[in-house]
Amino acid sequence: MNILSRRSFLSHASTLGLGTALATLTDVPFVLQRALAEGSIGQPGPNGRVRKLLFIFLRGANDGLNTVAPLGDPGYASSRPNIGLSEDPAQPVARLGTVPFPVAGSSAGTYSHPFALPLGNGFAALHPSLKFLAPLYNAGHLALVHRVGYPRQSRSHFDSQAYWETGAPRDDRVKDGLLYRAMVESGLANTSPLTGVSIASSLPLILRGSRAAMTNLSDPTRYNLLAVPNTAAANRKADAALSAANRIAFADKRDRELLQLQYQNLSQTLELFAQLRFDEASNTFRDDVATDGDTEWSAANGGGYYLFPTTEEKNGGWARTGGNRASKYVVPTGAHDFFKNLKAASIVLNKTDAIVSGVSIDGWDTHSGQVDSKDEQAGTGAHTGAHAGLLRRVGWSLYALQKYFTRYADQCRWEDLVVVTLSEFGRTTVENSDAGTDHAEASVMLVAGGGVKGFVPGNAGGVARSGILNCGGPGDEIQPWQPGAKGSLFQAGERYLRRNTDYRSVLGRLIRNHLGATDDQLGRIIPGYADPAESLRTAGIQTRDGTAVIGEPDIV
Amino acid sequence: MESRRLPGCAARICRVLIATGLLSQVSGAEPPPPPRVAAMALAAGEARFSIHPSPATDEYRVLGAPDIGAAFTEVSGIWDGFDWTGAAAGDRGFFRVEAVPLSDRDLLTATVLNRLAYGPTPDDLARVRGAGPEAYIAEQLSPEAIPTDLDVLDATPRWTRVTASGLGSASKIYIYLNDAGEAYLDDLRLVAGNSDDGSQPNLLRNGGFETSLSPDWRISPNLIGSARSPSPVHSGNASLHVVSTEAGETQGSSIYQLITPDLNPAQTYTLSYWYYTSSQRARLTVRLSGSGIESEHGMEGQENSPAPLYARLQKGTATRADLRAWHLLHAIQSPRQLTEVLRQFLENHFVTQVSKTQDYFDNRGYGSAESERLAVRTEFVENVRWRDALLKPDVTFEDLLRISAESPAMIVYLDTVTSRGDGSNVANENYARELCELFCFGVDNGYSQKDIEEISRAWTGWRLELVDPGDEFNPFAARSTHYLDPNVTGSGLNANTNVVGVWAFKYRTDRHNNRSKNIFFEWNAAGQRGEARRVPARYGPPWAGRPYGLTLAARTGNAGMQDGYDILRHMANQPFTEEFLSVKLCQWFVHDGFQVGYDFTDDVTSPEEELVHACMLAWENGNPRGQLRPVLNVIFNSELFRGHGGSLQKVKTPLEFAASTVRALRARRPDGTFTAESDGYGLYNMMNRAGRMRPFDRAEPNGYPEDAPGWISGGTLSERLRFVQAAMMPPGMDGKDDAGAATRIDPVGLLQLSLPASSLQSAPAVADYLVRTLFPGEGAANLAGYRAIAVQFLDTGDDGKTSSPLASLNPGSSAYDLRIRGLAALLLTTQRFQEQ
Repeated sequence: MNILSRRSFLSHASTLGLGTALATLTDVPFVLQRALAEGSIGQPGPNGRVRKLLFIFLRGANDGLNTVAPLGDPGYASSRPNIGLSEDPAQPVARLGTVPFPVAGSSAGTYSHPFALPLGNGFAALHPSLKFLAPLYNAGHLALVHRVGYPRQSRSHFDSQAYWETGAPRDDRVKDGLLYRAMVESGLANTSPLTGVSIASSLPLILRGSRAAMTNLSDPTRYNLLAVPNTAAANRKADAALSAANRIAFADKRDRELLQLQYQNLSQTLELFAQLRFDEASNTFRDDVATDGDTEWSAANGGGYYLFPTTEEKNGGWARTGGNRASKYVVPTGAHDFFKNLKAASIVLNKTDAIVSGVSIDGWDTHSGQVDSKDEQAGTGAHTGAHAGLLRRVGWSLYALQKYFTRYADQCRWEDLVVVTLSEFGRTTVENSDAGTDHAEASVMLVAGGGVKGFVPGNAGGVARSGILNCGGPGDEIQPWQPGAKGSLFQAGERYLRRNTDYRSVLGRLIRNHLGATDDQLGRIIPGYADPAESLRTAGIQTRDGTAVIGEPDIV
Repeated sequence: MESRRLPGCAARICRVLIATGLLSQVSGAEPPPPPRVAAMALAAGEARFSIHPSPATDEYRVLGAPDIGAAFTEVSGIWDGFDWTGAAAGDRGFFRVEAVPLSDRDLLTATVLNRLAYGPTPDDLARVRGAGPEAYIAEQLSPEAIPTDLDVLDATPRWTRVTASGLGSASKIYIYLNDAGEAYLDDLRLVAGNSDDGSQPNLLRNGGFETSLSPDWRISPNLIGSARSPSPVHSGNASLHVVSTEAGETQGSSIYQLITPDLNPAQTYTLSYWYYTSSQRARLTVRLSGSGIESEHGMEGQENSPAPLYARLQKGTATRADLRAWHLLHAIQSPRQLTEVLRQFLENHFVTQVSKTQDYFDNRGYGSAESERLAVRTEFVENVRWRDALLKPDVTFEDLLRISAESPAMIVYLDTVTSRGDGSNVANENYARELCELFCFGVDNGYSQKDIEEISRAWTGWRLELVDPGDEFNPFAARSTHYLDPNVTGSGLNANTNVVGVWAFKYRTDRHNNRSKNIFFEWNAAGQRGEARRVPARYGPPWAGRPYGLTLAARTGNAGMQDGYDILRHMANQPFTEEFLSVKLCQWFVHDGFQVGYDFTDDVTSPEEELVHACMLAWENGNPRGQLRPVLNVIFNSELFRGHGGSLQKVKTPLEFAASTVRALRARRPDGTFTAESDGYGLYNMMNRAGRMRPFDRAEPNGYPEDAPGWISGGTLSERLRFVQAAMMPPGMDGKDDAGAATRIDPVGLLQLSLPASSLQSAPAVADYLVRTLFPGEGAANLAGYRAIAVQFLDTGDDGKTSSPLASLNPGSSAYDLRIRGLAALLLTTQRFQEQ
């Protein structure tokens, strides 16, 4: 069967009268799906390992302009007098090179640095709550893609999230998820125990579809069966009896092959998960350096900060001696549950055959109090408030993932992984009267991984290649940022950042160049990808709304 | 019924000639394929082979003959699973395997209870086997003739009995309410064993409250007003009048008794008592200390009945959890099972989303809880309207479609509520698109983008308004002017929260697009209208070539609302709708392999295509057109439905899995109670976890999937299996929460009703009964493997190793109870229970 190609199977099938209904791979028996699949999604590469993807959905719409701030545009400060980030007098945004990392040391608060961190392209700066991205950026493992959106942007959270997840903006006929289709194209969706996994209360649309069940782990610690009576011994008795029942032959029926396979998957996954430790006691993953200059946490003292801050004790610089120090936390205490999910998503990618896993962070809908003066950790200023707290989750997440997939790598190493953030739209350029921002258009995507094409230093501290796309500096020749009163910040409706990159081009690039889809597969995974009028692959005019876009960004 | 044999096919391998054959008793139904034979060998006077089983087989027989022409006679041998070993004379022999199938009656009984109902109950199995599945189909197709009082709230105060079994965790019993309130209790008994037939000694002192409460009963301060009461009484001269000033929780806040002598923590006891119903809010708890027996319930009576929920839903005070519980309780209990199955079909076909409706009200001044209640009411109203419509013998698809179109839930869900077509406004296309794609024609079937635009202009002005209750179904009614507080001034007077009324469909003439509409026409590139479109040739007679354009003249004022109704009437009976709905009904009732797009004129046909065609003809030829019952009748009388092509060919959705788990062991006891109960609430967690099935709250307009890949994966199976185990746990066991504490299943009670007392300790008898009851469509021979595993399970200790024969366990003991519960759980976690 391995020599049978998908195309020859399809033509063979149609001569047998199976008809043209064989439009997708899911229409063939799933024991054949992998053999017929094109491309190399889920297949080991030359290094023997599978390339993987981890997504973090920022639900509620992230303010891209305070994530990667266009400090070089005078319109930025004037339209955000209260919530705008300010330039560090000691580190002017015009300087070229690496991103400074404001080390807190043993005494200062982790996020006490009040100024934006210049991104070294002479124009853009990072929110100081993202300071842990500096090491990633400087190592060239991070690409920041600004001005990302889609044609005829919806300002409804509900619709816009759905469009990001289906990969088909403004097309309600597409009901299933973009990464779901990528997993179906791998040919493994019904035979491998795990392909696409979400760690959330419910399976997100991006992994949903009716022809193959992706896995949602609302709580991986629930991945064990019960028994009556509910004791370990009785559980083994029930498992053994069920395994024996699973071996019994029955007459053929439509769904029995699937049931047999998924019961096998269940028992394999149970076995798999029995060896993985998702519980709190096993959360011993630590940094190898005293990240923030806190010498109490150093290799000499047994290791740096915990990578997954799931409790106060594991949150940043909780003192090893002398009690709690909230100002030394690396994430807000409300983020502990999120880091439980992120830990599970990481373990699943690192220890199983899963190809994609995902988590989400809610609460980005910062209509008011985006910035406030009550921040427990860092005093007052534009670097405080709800948005800052959310960004700390993202900054520490990417830093911790790099460390986890380096220090604790098993099946997946940092160079095999891409981490990408998604968010349904950006927020208004101009702040509102509640120290917040409203629904708008383009925002920023963060793409991190050992294989990501990021910053490359030039001679004498210069920049050979910037890790920032579409926000000033080298690499933005196609659609340069236009500063000023009629510039990029005000291009749509006078207060919306207009996109120059389609999110589908970013995801398409990752799915083909990183995960290993063929162009044909990409056309099925992202409807319209092959349509020149959409300009998803190469620069051109998106004909639906006449907007010029850059096509795929060169990020992997 | 006539027996017939399939011609045997013969092959010579290893000098053993084996033919397979079939002894069949089929009338009408397609015969199953014969068992496939493999791995044949003959050596040293011994023949061996394996078979792959046939569907629904009661017995496999091996016949042998010395020569192919000689008479075949039954040969004795040994079956080990599906491997057979028997004697052969010399080095040659001819064998034939015959499958004795399940009777047609039993096969169809299993199918109708799986498809027309939410799975078999032991009682229904007996009844349908007795009266015959044909009678069941006829009964279910005329639900108006099936009496039911499930939703009738009996508000008359009356004495109600409660029983609960569990472990004797501690020798203290507590009585308390969860709030301020009062209750009357009488004849409180605690006896050893799984049930109380009145003959066992009461382990409680003064349980009838016939003598002074002190010293046997002690009263904590929050219950200090409690006393013996001469009226009402259930028996004797007094009952216990519980008067609570604040919530109880434990010994120090309860009426309690120290039980002597001590209970055995490893033994099962049964608690029973009577309480006097009332409509007060406080809930009563009677329990042992620790996690043994616990009884907790409201005082409304009709525990586990949908009636109190129905009353709440009617009053508009129900939450979405109440609505789902009501839905599930009907799925489990309703004698009108097919109506409940169809109601779910409609709810899923005409999807709406209660959280979107809630958001709508949230944005109109209501608090979150009130918004939920208002939104839930919209779901309830459309469901009750569908249910009433389904009781009409000539109910048509158009009737059901109109209910959906008029539902405030739909008007919000697909955005007609904000759509306007007056002036230069461009109408929202959402409803128009789904009307074509999902509700009537099917995707890309007979309509174009232009048609969606034309239809969308008709659905302008379909909005909501807060009207007097008497105007709920009058779309022209003005806003209610009944005010909660008439003294409020300014715009506050007319604020939604100050108006007393119901939110209802309102037609706004000033938002409607009054111009003419041309739907289902050809248009040229210049935008000029051409001919009406014609039904494609593939439909064949009587449909092919029919023009189906619809022109609506310009209408103003209230007459403009007729645009929408004219479109519904027109679309409801087009061949595209007939085809799409027939396909969906066949997928729902037969199997998932039906599709839209058959060429009904070519020579290539399949049973699926023929059935869809027959459904469409039944739809087309009725008077009025589009009646549901004739279409269902065609499906239920088809060979596909009745034979092996339909039997067990579908996987249960989470909803079906939840309801069928409770029903599988639910038998009525002589006292009117049941051996399996759910309050409806405890089942939702599994449905949500096992693939996010959230009835009444789906975000996507395409409805929940019906096919197996949409539901079955390792992760979802893990939740299904945990749920089953939890459902089978006795009250209070660690893990029980996965199925809700109020999901109470008593498989021992079922055995006591169904088996002679002498068989209760016989592992083969118990295994046989449960396997046949839980898998009635499979056939005894095919179930031999499960049965053997069940017997071994029953005769093995909890450690899975030690021999512990069932015969050595006392049927009244906790060990016996847990063994049987464990077996029931095991059988319900097998692959075969995922099917229907």
